[in-house]
Amino acid sequence: MDLSQAISLRNSLRNNHVIMAYNGTVSDDLMVTLADLLKERLVANDDVKRSKLIFAVFMEGVQNLIWHGKEHAENMGMILITENNKEITIMCGNRIEKDKTQGLKDRLAQIEGADKDTIRQLYREGMSHASEHEGPGSGLGLLEIARRSTQPISFTFVDVDDISVDFILAATI
Amino acid sequence: MKLEATDRTPAISLTQDPLKLSISGESFPEDVSAFYGDIISAINQLASTAKGKLDVEMAMVYINSSSIKAMYRIFEGLDAYRQAGNEVQVTWKAEADDDIMQELGEDFKDRFQALSFSVEQHG
Repeated sequence: MDLSQAISLRNSLRNNHVIMAYNGTVSDDLMVTLADLLKERLVANDDVKRSKLIFAVFMEGVQNLIWHGKEHAENMGMILITENNKEITIMCGNRIEKDKTQGLKDRLAQIEGADKDTIRQLYREGMSHASEHEGPGSGLGLLEIARRSTQPISFTFVDVDDISVDFILAATI
Repeated sequence: MKLEATDRTPAISLTQDPLKLSISGESFPEDVSAFYGDIISAINQLASTAKGKLDVEMAMVYINSSSIKAMYRIFEGLDAYRQAGNEVQVTWKAEADDDIMQELGEDFKDRFQALSFSVEQHG
């Protein structure tokens, strides 16, 4: 990248009201560091309730990246936070294996278009089954994000090659 | 059993006299099962190591979804202690401006309806 490309990237970040952008390996240490930065910024905002929603969505989004990144694609994580007209949008992206997307798509289909009461009921049912969930997660992360967002979540899958796909989830508070 | 709070793990104490479990603070440990393993075992053994009324006080500030999985197992252990013929009183405390923790308390209460469970907000 040369300087003019850097300037156009900077302009793009500014024009899109990006307040935090990260691309690369997402580790537990990185999550804690970014969480502290975000907290500092949110403390300046006097709306405590909203700050807690934003923090919860950020943590769940980033934890998904840590737990569900495709092996050997550690540097493919993306975290983007934009702030526009008092609305914060948190986007988290990672590269996952294509043959592991069906379960994710099923869960997203369940959440997409569901109202808050339905999401809460799904969450409660999910709590009862959390201990059966393999790995460090609980299967509640997406529901947590959907529950705390003030607008319906949006997402996309971008084909990379025969075995990989980039998944991006966006939540607005 | 007593654990001091850190930036990302809660304070936990389990005492025999009085019989009381307290958990308070933040919960997003790097390794949830390692962090909660001991307390879950201790609670699962309560029916054989203790008797009588157990007071439980939970005052969480932030808890990630992975910790909720561990917390659920703690409540399962508390419910087993109740089923062994003991009284269990759970008090879930949320800060007054914390809707998330208030709702989570209600969610646990909904899942463990046989437990005596109160969700309270504090100024």
